[in-house]
Amino acid sequence: MALLEVSDLHVEFDTYGGTVHAVRGVDFRLDEGQTLAIVGESGCGKSVTVQSFTGLIPMPPGRIVRGGATLRGHDILGGGRIDGKEVRGREIGMIFQDPMTSLNPTMTIGDQIAEPLQVHAGMKRRTAHARAVELLEMTRIPEPAKRAEQYPFEFSGGMLQRAMIAMALSCEPSVLIADEPTTALDVTIQAQILDLMVDLQRENGMAIALITHDLGVVARMADEVLVMYAGQVVERGSVDDVFYRSAHPYTLGLKAAMPTNQSEGEQDLQPIDGSPPDLFAPPEGCGYAARCPFAMEACQGQPPPVYGIRAAAADAYDHESRCWLHHEDCDIAAEGVHKGE
Amino acid sequence: MGRYILRRLVQGVITVWFIATATFFAMHNVPGDPLQSDKAVSAEIRANLEARYGLDKPLMEQYFIYLANMAQGDFGISFTQQNREVNDIIAEHFRISAALGILAIAFAALGGILWGALTALYRNRLPDIVIMLLVILGISVPGFVFAGLGQLGVVNLNAALGFTLFPVGGWGTVSHMIVPALVLGLGTMAFLTRLMRSSMLEIANADFLRTARAKGLPANRIFRKHQLRNAILPVVTVLGPSIAAITTGGFVVELVFAIPGLGRYFVQAVQQSDYTVIMGTTVFYGAFLVFMVIVVDIIYGFVDPRVRLE
Repeated sequence: MALLEVSDLHVEFDTYGGTVHAVRGVDFRLDEGQTLAIVGESGCGKSVTVQSFTGLIPMPPGRIVRGGATLRGHDILGGGRIDGKEVRGREIGMIFQDPMTSLNPTMTIGDQIAEPLQVHAGMKRRTAHARAVELLEMTRIPEPAKRAEQYPFEFSGGMLQRAMIAMALSCEPSVLIADEPTTALDVTIQAQILDLMVDLQRENGMAIALITHDLGVVARMADEVLVMYAGQVVERGSVDDVFYRSAHPYTLGLKAAMPTNQSEGEQDLQPIDGSPPDLFAPPEGCGYAARCPFAMEACQGQPPPVYGIRAAAADAYDHESRCWLHHEDCDIAAEGVHKGE
Repeated sequence: MGRYILRRLVQGVITVWFIATATFFAMHNVPGDPLQSDKAVSAEIRANLEARYGLDKPLMEQYFIYLANMAQGDFGISFTQQNREVNDIIAEHFRISAALGILAIAFAALGGILWGALTALYRNRLPDIVIMLLVILGISVPGFVFAGLGQLGVVNLNAALGFTLFPVGGWGTVSHMIVPALVLGLGTMAFLTRLMRSSMLEIANADFLRTARAKGLPANRIFRKHQLRNAILPVVTVLGPSIAAITTGGFVVELVFAIPGLGRYFVQAVQQSDYTVIMGTTVFYGAFLVFMVIVVDIIYGFVDPRVRLE
């Protein structure tokens, strides 16, 4: 049984302009100790996916149309409870993009870390506070006892993200959801935060769902990768499959748009032309067709199914792509698209 | 902290000196003087009176005599109320105005926070719409209208009950205070309700509230410890000016409810050119407001950790 399983998730938002179909059928599973990266550009539904099944999007205007989310087989859709106990904070810890605004400005860091311990573990204020200091130490914050008495405005961005991690991990959750945890931080701090997450994962075996648009972060952290586009998963697979045997034209586009530090070849960045489709009225066919260099007639009218990409060694299909190029009758030679062995 | 308070107090003294100076010269520039009366007064008597009160001296000399006396806490004797010291007038009547003002501020602050939080919770639903309609009335209708309506309501209430629950006017017991304090605080309460509502709504979308929900905290804890606590900050900021509005605006309400507060003397003195009382009440009110603003600023330092009093 998977630790966390999300299936066929559909999320919509009612706005003055109409209904936004933000997430249109997302499935994924996350096993213990594993890191799953969810990649995609702004507005592709990455954050909505995780924030909807954890009950963090405002409803209304948000709405989970259908789908399921289970944690060890228990239904938790919308941030539910298991055996009457809250899942969020206890079983699922979360950290967010902007640590500067994600902490309560009028509460000490120590009190904020101690809060889930008091609420979920029933600790007394004093014990919870002592534990909060230990947690700060665990996230390698110097002088944790002094720091715990300080307020968020006395911390730097990187320090605040460490405090957020300490808070998210206070009740030793089995899943850590990290929603663009390093986007607001500068590069050296990014690396420190990612290293910290990897080390903590090694120590307590939690699973991490990492949302990012930074392929460099994905390569460094992920076991499995989910590439999202226009509210759907377009490619999934192991990090090697997705990077070295990319099977979806969008993944190729993302890779071409990624800066490298190799000077030989002097590769220019190749942005993906155009913009994502209007999710008020998602296209009938493939969402990427309008920007895809390999688009065919079929792509416009019919939504592509998910194809398994056969791996070289085994018969396993743990690499999938939602693209007509993988149809058995398709004989277009799409340069760079991996079609299986 | 001590240094901060000291500095603020010194600044306050300068402010009060400025108020006193401006009032002094403005007052002497107004036509007429306290010795004017309906009866015809011979030039000789008038000259004697002026000499008696020191009004024959050059203006600058009067000013310095006045400042010297004020520095010793002596505001002099009223011109129109024979032999009554201004200090006595303030001591006797300010107590009443202060009691009324404090009660009004308490009503306004508690009511504003409560209604503001309520409207934010029921945003765009019936309670919100009804309360916001009342808030617009509270802000736009002047206090004396509410004072009259309040009295009318009290009369009807007492008639319906068959005994006097709230007196219509006068002063003396707690029941005398409640209705005038409510009326006096109403405008400020309406203003604070609006402020609290917008502040609550702004914070409702704050990232740290999402964090609080992600921590799985119970809804009432999120509301109390994370939303309300932060939404109150702007309300605390405007409490200083609000106290000013209520204490100086108390005059009309005191008049309607026949309350012997200081406000009446404040206004009467101006009409009668009662120099000493004008100066005494103005400087006293000024000093009081400066002091309250300092107190509010110090309180703010405790409420918001980001404010450092240095």
